[in-house]
Amino acid sequence: MSKIQDTVLKRQDDNWRENEQDHKRVPAITNGFKNPGKPSVGNVKKVLETAVLVPPNSEEVRRKLAQRNKTGMWGQSGGRLEYAMYKTLLSVLLVIYACVRYAQYEYNRVKILVLNLAYSPSNTPQLIRQDVLKLQKLPRRLAAILEKKREGDVGGGVSGVLNDGSELVAWSVSAGIKHLILYDHDGHLKRNVDDFRNNVSHKLSKFYDPSNVPRFAVRVPQWNKVYFNTPGAEVGAAKKVAIEISLLSNRDGRETIIDLTRTMAELCAQNEMKLSDITMKLIDSELTQLVGHEPDLLLYFGPSLDLQGFPPWHIRLTEFYWEQDNDQVTYSVFIRGLKKFASCKMNVGK
Amino acid sequence: MSDTNSFPGLPQVFNFFKNLFSHVLRTSNNVPQHIGLIMDGNRRWAKRKHVEIKEGHNAGFHSMSRALELCYEAGVSTATVFAFSIENFKRSAAEVDSLMNLARSGIRQVVQNGEMAEKFGVKIKVIGDRRLLPDDVLQEIETAEEITKNNTRAVLNICFPYTGRDELIHSIKANIDSMSSGQLEASDIDENQIDKYLYTAESPPVDLLIRTSGVTRLSDFLLWQASRRGVVIEFLDCLWPDFGSRQMAWILLKFAFNRSYRASDLDFEEETDGDATANPNKNHM
Repeated sequence: MSKIQDTVLKRQDDNWRENEQDHKRVPAITNGFKNPGKPSVGNVKKVLETAVLVPPNSEEVRRKLAQRNKTGMWGQSGGRLEYAMYKTLLSVLLVIYACVRYAQYEYNRVKILVLNLAYSPSNTPQLIRQDVLKLQKLPRRLAAILEKKREGDVGGGVSGVLNDGSELVAWSVSAGIKHLILYDHDGHLKRNVDDFRNNVSHKLSKFYDPSNVPRFAVRVPQWNKVYFNTPGAEVGAAKKVAIEISLLSNRDGRETIIDLTRTMAELCAQNEMKLSDITMKLIDSELTQLVGHEPDLLLYFGPSLDLQGFPPWHIRLTEFYWEQDNDQVTYSVFIRGLKKFASCKMNVGK
Repeated sequence: MSDTNSFPGLPQVFNFFKNLFSHVLRTSNNVPQHIGLIMDGNRRWAKRKHVEIKEGHNAGFHSMSRALELCYEAGVSTATVFAFSIENFKRSAAEVDSLMNLARSGIRQVVQNGEMAEKFGVKIKVIGDRRLLPDDVLQEIETAEEITKNNTRAVLNICFPYTGRDELIHSIKANIDSMSSGQLEASDIDENQIDKYLYTAESPPVDLLIRTSGVTRLSDFLLWQASRRGVVIEFLDCLWPDFGSRQMAWILLKFAFNRSYRASDLDFEEETDGDATANPNKNHM
């Protein structure tokens, strides 16, 4: 069925080149503007204002309120009063929540700080090796969701994403993970693939002896391209690489599934394919070819889990790991994710 | 439902506060519209309590009623529960049997004397690959759907037997089918079109997914729906039978707070709602 793949790839290529859909469709990054988990008095005040002053706009609520007016527990005249009371109680609840949340946030931040101190790889693969050797199993394929932070922040902008990505590559190489999937919603990584390769090589030469930097391959499934090492140093493509990195974006998720559907629809219309040919196995193998294999572990470096449009077909049994209220790509999250993975038991359906 | 509080009057007081809470939350206008539930941990709970696995599933059923009661009362319009995965057919025959029995009696209970159907006007829908079910269970399901079909207040989708990939393939096939019958052009197939043929097509988009028992996987549940940006995914450490109104209330409050927080954060709104035309400077790379 390589015909299917060709058509899908061609379609993606066209989209990319002709209307540069990615540039248009993709909304700007939302997270990381500031740590959304971070509470502040001003924001709590604003929350209360919106919660109390904005009237409910759903039909359901209005109907319920009208109904309550008649039969409410506060009698005939109590409708408005009751509503006001509910709103007051709501703000009380939200304030209580904000207080608890604030304590929780501070606790988590301190925890993250301590963990960051406890696990610091300081650019030495040996230390990472030592951490990993204690683990019973390693993920064969590791995925990570990266986010672009606000331009001007520490580690913000596209260069921040590139830096985070290359750090993850260095840790993975040191840990002995052979496949790494880096996902960022807007595709910053694949659009700057040359910079990324330079970045990775730079980072790896810090970890390893410059004469013996591990080789790597960068795969961009959307363009069906594989790049070896840094630009200008592609020699040795045939030699074994220490790690294969796939760069994914929102485009490789739903859009690819839709492209696949269209292609199969066209083939069916031309009678080259029957509806009964479409099976779980076929779709799985097509999507594996087009996007890649399902990762075993997915790391997320934001404050609360949000899959950001990660390819839906590829998260069937993937283990997720993230650290509450964390907003940085740090080694402690990486190694704690691996530890969690090593300790979890997998039993499909049972 | 089966709160075994020994202190007289306590259940009533508890109920009063529960209702009050849900009504208060309802006025916040920031309640999730569609909740997905993975009710994991019934068997481990049974083992820990040294009772039969059947008892565990029973306790899980009650736990579900408690949680849903609160949700519907707070204004959630749809809940989708993962009752049985296609993969679950791999379990021992005895257990599959007892699960089927539970489903049969559970559905009957909900429909006949369970307060849920009457009090909340819940419409029950069983989604998934129903061809795999035994005939008698299928009949029970059809009766239940028939009886509750005119309820409009809330919807309960029971995934039975279901997997997310199976649902996706179902939709892909349905799309291709409707194209070959001439209702659709190949170029019309897009995300909405795929959504339209999912089992959850008639429901609002999923905005909250809860899984208990400390497992941090989706296990093939609502893959397409939950991978969207902005869907809140909560993984809890407690086992499902221990999941009560308190946990549910906390999650709903958290959800409401975060949504109000975002609504009040103007920067955020600009960033999420604005597409290329609203902030073109963001798209220059």
